Amino acid sequence: MKPDPVIIASGLKRVYPLGESQVVGLAGIDLAIDTGALVVLKGVSGSGKSTLLALLAGLDRPSAGRLVVAGRDLAGAGEADLTIFRREVVGMVFQNFNLLPTLTVLENVSIPALLAGRPRSETLRRADELLAWLGMTPRRHHFPAQLSGGEMQRTAIARALINDPPIILADEPTGNLDSANGAAVIELLADLNRRWQRTVIIATHSTIADPYATVRILLKDGAIVDGSWAD
Amino acid sequence: MGRLTAFLRLFHQFSLRHLVRHRGRAVTVLLGIGLGAAVFTSVRLSVDASLSSFGRSVDLLAGRADRVVVEVTGAVPETLVAPLRRHPAVSAAAPVMTTYVRPAGDEARSFLLVGIDPILDRPMRTWTAEKRDGKTVTAWQRLMATPATLVAGASLARDLGWRVGDRVPLEHAMGRQDFEVAGILADEQLGRAEAGRLAIVDLATFQELTGRFGFVERIDLILRPDVSTGDLEALAALMPPGVSLQTPGGAKATGTAMVRAYQINLSVLSFASLFVGMFLVYSLVALNAASRRPELAILRSLGATPRRIFALFIGEGAVFGILGWALAIPVSTVLVKFLLDGVSRTISTLFVRVEIDRLALSPLEIGASFVLTVGVAVAAAWQPAREAMKVAPKEVLTQSPVTAEDGPGARRLALGGFGCILAALPLARIPGLPGLPLPGYLATLLLFVGFALLSPWGLRRLGGWFADGGDVPFVLAVRYVRDSGTRTAVSVGALITAVALFTALVIMVHSFRRTVEVWVTQTLSGDLFVAPKMAEAINFQDLMTDADMQVVRSLETPATVVPHRRYNLEHQGVPYTLEAMPMIPFLRQGDFVWYQGPAEAIRPALREGKGVVVSEVFANRTGLTAGDRFEADLGRAVVKWPILGVIRDYRTQGGVVFADLDALLAVVPDAGWTGVRFYLPQDSAGVEHLRQELIARCGDRLDMVTGADLRQSILEVFDETFAVTTVLLLVALAVAALGITTTLTVLVLERTRQLNTLLAVGGSRRQIRRMIFTEAAFLVALGEAAGLVCGFLLSYLLIYVINRQSFGWTFIYRVDWAALGFSVPLIVATALAAAVPALRQVFRRPPATLLRER
Ligand SMILES: Nc1ncnc2c1ncn2[C@@H]1O[C@H](COP(=O)(O)OP(=O)(O)O)[C@@H](O)[C@H]1O
Ligand SMILES: [Mg+2]
Repeated sequence: MKPDPVIIASGLKRVYPLGESQVVGLAGIDLAIDTGALVVLKGVSGSGKSTLLALLAGLDRPSAGRLVVAGRDLAGAGEADLTIFRREVVGMVFQNFNLLPTLTVLENVSIPALLAGRPRSETLRRADELLAWLGMTPRRHHFPAQLSGGEMQRTAIARALINDPPIILADEPTGNLDSANGAAVIELLADLNRRWQRTVIIATHSTIADPYATVRILLKDGAIVDGSWAD
Repeated sequence: MGRLTAFLRLFHQFSLRHLVRHRGRAVTVLLGIGLGAAVFTSVRLSVDASLSSFGRSVDLLAGRADRVVVEVTGAVPETLVAPLRRHPAVSAAAPVMTTYVRPAGDEARSFLLVGIDPILDRPMRTWTAEKRDGKTVTAWQRLMATPATLVAGASLARDLGWRVGDRVPLEHAMGRQDFEVAGILADEQLGRAEAGRLAIVDLATFQELTGRFGFVERIDLILRPDVSTGDLEALAALMPPGVSLQTPGGAKATGTAMVRAYQINLSVLSFASLFVGMFLVYSLVALNAASRRPELAILRSLGATPRRIFALFIGEGAVFGILGWALAIPVSTVLVKFLLDGVSRTISTLFVRVEIDRLALSPLEIGASFVLTVGVAVAAAWQPAREAMKVAPKEVLTQSPVTAEDGPGARRLALGGFGCILAALPLARIPGLPGLPLPGYLATLLLFVGFALLSPWGLRRLGGWFADGGDVPFVLAVRYVRDSGTRTAVSVGALITAVALFTALVIMVHSFRRTVEVWVTQTLSGDLFVAPKMAEAINFQDLMTDADMQVVRSLETPATVVPHRRYNLEHQGVPYTLEAMPMIPFLRQGDFVWYQGPAEAIRPALREGKGVVVSEVFANRTGLTAGDRFEADLGRAVVKWPILGVIRDYRTQGGVVFADLDALLAVVPDAGWTGVRFYLPQDSAGVEHLRQELIARCGDRLDMVTGADLRQSILEVFDETFAVTTVLLLVALAVAALGITTTLTVLVLERTRQLNTLLAVGGSRRQIRRMIFTEAAFLVALGEAAGLVCGFLLSYLLIYVINRQSFGWTFIYRVDWAALGFSVPLIVATALAAAVPALRQVFRRPPATLLRER
């Protein structure tokens, strides 16, 4: 039995006004991603990868088109709905980690659950489990400034997982890492997809995630190139 | 030259463009420092305009005299003129008398009347008057030839609608007299004195009007150019007892000295706004230096020297100073028009009478304001500039994320702060120069600096206490406040300064007013005050006539009569008033406000005329206090009395000594009265009755004011004086609020990425707004709390050190809880409102920018 698509987009468009003219981020794409897919989103810099991820993460709203993620209509969602969506549906990993510098590793990981109003003790237990799984236990009381790039990104991944979201979005997650650490991070994301059936979308312009892809999408000037990409 | 243009180009590209790109904050800071500079400049300009008008007027009236002959009580025998004129050392001698008179029935428009001998005066003062139409008789000839003629100043004539030939009724102590206007003074030389609000009469006419026959106020002398010290000694030997030869300019010096304390106080108060503006400049330059660290590393790696980096940031401060000043000057020229009225009226009522002749914007003051504003702004940029020059070129290779500032810094600053606060107290005990409370002001500055230095540590502690309570937005806010370091603390420092100033002034003004209230109800008790006409304006120089004294002694209306005899004297250059009145009735009806008692022991001795009490001001200025001996030369006799105690008194013309009238009469039997106050029995409908009886029997020779009106008007003057202060305070608070706005906005903008991250991981907008608001609340709470503590300390300094050093008096310490209780929440609300622009900034950049590489 083929599962229902967890992401459905049609005519999805995002343009940025720029003075009189406008810059096209996404030119109107159609998309259907099944639950449990590992999508690798490729394209040169400026092709619209981040724009698409921002829409999928509920951080931005489309200029036109339809977007339904995990059964929720994001195109017409209000601010409150988007907040709940971000808490329950997606976890995000960024190129530059975006950890809060005044919070320890453990605190950084706990933040999404606490913001969502989960009980503190349960949250801390789960955060510890995640950190243990990621091999970060010795570092749990350190501040981001004291971590290496790989450790920072593992912390960010733990943070993305704390609320148990069905979808993980990663924007250039290896962009600021050396190749060994980059490979480890991709391995982790693939593991999440294989073992826990998370839908994972990785945007990257490198080939590092290629072997794990179940869906391959190539963006060019804000549009999906037919047939996506081949090796 | 080439290096300078190279630097300026870099400055333009690197610093100015950055400022323009973030113009919102730059404009706020500019507004802050500009407002501060404007207040400072306009206050200085107002006082300066008043003082220079006063000085010019005094100079014009003094004329070309080298020496003046004066007498302690202002009565130089007229007979001295002839021998002085004949004396070989003297080339010219001219008698002068001055007083204030008013057009009959016009209480508000009194003016200066100058009595001279038109012929003798010609070498001394120059004036010209329009001639009478068609006739060849000049005005000065007419003054001499015809009694009761006057020459009026141009603006006086204009104000009152006088023309040559008009007959005008004038009022003075001896009653009322019609004058003929013989001419109008040209608007030059003497005609400009008192801003043209004066009139000249012949000496004989003057004496006729005032009844001061045989005496003149002073004799102006011009000495021969080749005069020897022997000649001068011979001249001095000519003086009868009580009369002395002095250099002119004494009046100007005394007048200016009296105003100086007021001027310094206002300057310091207005400097506070500039000081608060300094925090603003600091916070913005520090932000730029910190947030542009990577760029600085790039500049360094490209070959910029540390000195050049330093200069860039100092330049940023200087730009704020220069533009702030440029903004301040037009604002001040407007502001000064509003302030000038209040300031000159205050100076006139409290110290010396000033008529503003013209509003000259003193170039010196404007220059000083430039130096000060730019100096303050550059000083504010100093520390951040030094930090910036320490950026190493190799940082360009390290991609270090923003980290919280280090802890020990806050600790060290706090220790320094405590040191400053502790040092303030002993410093305040060092006696100041008379009228110049330098140690007091330094102590104040130390307090401000001390508390500002405490604030980083205070934020850490406060953050530490609350770090584990509350929900996520609260905890995040507390964390941030705790770790945000000195930059946040700076705006807390600004708030502390403004709140402290506010608190201290509220307490001081309240204490002052309550003490003055007690003083007027006790020392100025009485139901009706009577004195010769214009006595108030001329400092009670005229005596009541024998006839009027007789009337007072035989009144039908039942009343307790307390006459007084005042002398305006000097003790080693310190002006004071000796006031003798019968102590038995006075102490039965009223009382002094005792400063150093014991009152119970002193009152009986005072009643028996066994000594005097002196005011706190007199004691502080002369160093004479209880147990010392008071001695005064009254011209005809020297009085010597022990000082029994010290009392509080708030007249602004200097100190006062109270003696028993009978004790005075024992030494000077015909001393006379300078005025009378009446106490009426409780139930009587009497004040109006008494007034009517006095008018019926004395005509209109006396000025009368009811006790209630007198006390009321004193309190009104008081309130008016402090209206200027209130304006200055509000500006300081406004500048502090701008500081909060800048800091919070900067804190928000700086963290756009973090805030958006919070949003991305599931935070709602409300949670994030609450977090920012909590941060604001912490800053405001600390600023407010520390400001209150600092304010209470400062109020002690103001009341017991600065006022004492400036004016010689202190007050009974009273806290105006009602005003504080009302205004503190208001300040909190304002400061929190200042957070609103920051809240609006939070989501200005869309959260999706998170995904764009830096
Ligand atoms: N906030 C924005 N304002 C204006 N243009 C933007 C904005 N974000 C992205 N763009 C433009 O949209 C296009 C797609 O950008 P992006 O999605 O960031 O590409 P990628 O992530 O593939 O490098 C680019 O031309 C980019 O300049
Ligand atoms: Mg991108």
